[in-house]
Amino acid sequence: MQEHHDDSDLLVILRHAPHGSSWLREGLDAALVAAAFGRRVSLLFMGEGVTALLPGQQAGALGQKGTAATLEMLEMYDIETLLVEEQGLSCLGLSSDELMLEVECLSPSALSRVLSGHRLVLTF
Amino acid sequence: MADWSPEVAEALAREEGITLTSEHWEILQLLRDFYARYEMAPAMRPLVKAVQRALGPEKGRSIHLMRLFPGSPAKVAARLAGLPKPTHCL
Amino acid sequence: MLLHVVNRSPATSRVYQQALAGMSPEDRLLLIEDGVQGALPQLVRYYAGLEGRLFALKEDLESRGLLGRCAASVQVVDVDGFVDLTEEAERTVSWY
Repeated sequence: MQEHHDDSDLLVILRHAPHGSSWLREGLDAALVAAAFGRRVSLLFMGEGVTALLPGQQAGALGQKGTAATLEMLEMYDIETLLVEEQGLSCLGLSSDELMLEVECLSPSALSRVLSGHRLVLTF
Repeated sequence: MADWSPEVAEALAREEGITLTSEHWEILQLLRDFYARYEMAPAMRPLVKAVQRALGPEKGRSIHLMRLFPGSPAKVAARLAGLPKPTHCL
Repeated sequence: MLLHVVNRSPATSRVYQQALAGMSPEDRLLLIEDGVQGALPQLVRYYAGLEGRLFALKEDLESRGLLGRCAASVQVVDVDGFVDLTEEAERTVSWY
């Protein structure tokens, strides 16, 4: 495992797709609040949460804001460790090179190491 | 956001006891650009970072923002720029 | 060692897969709420490989009439046992 996984204080796991529920937004909010207070935060996209990283997302049919702009803002909050469950991508026939941000793909064994390596884990 | 105009900013600034100078205006413009791009008003840390990038290290420091917008710069400046309250700032 | 907690049934939700994906070989898994269905002999196969590290909450089994129906490989713990598991683990991770 690479050193920076252990470095961050908080791992936020995002397991929900944009628009379908408010889970993704709430997870991102938690990450941003922690980062605004100077915590080092990593994000892990799991399951259908990986779809949050697809390019070309729009507002909802009723004009609801999406989360893509928030993801682009992560670097302004110094949230730079973006991890993606390899399995979550392949399940949907996606690959990491078509995502809107640069991410690190995690194999199943790397995934469990990342969980163990963080002092605090929040699942959304 | 759409109803905002420089006159509104002037009026809001008077309420805060601030006289807007060009140094204030460049921050307000930067905030409006930030909001247009990210759909959110920044908390203090990302605001400092954005200022640093756009206006250089001299101005990209919290002391500079504290001087321009005393109290809680992220909140006060967002208000003057016609933006909602920063979401991630308590 | 982490304690993973799952509250959804493997019969209706794939959350169990995420919990399994996040588990290290020494981690433990506790089934609570609807998750206790996973302790039934028919469903426990989803948790193959967790022998000795798979727990189900007694109170939730009891309230669902499932207490006597658990697979032998599942260790039944009451709320105090839940607290002990929590204390023995470095951290708890919830999957819901």
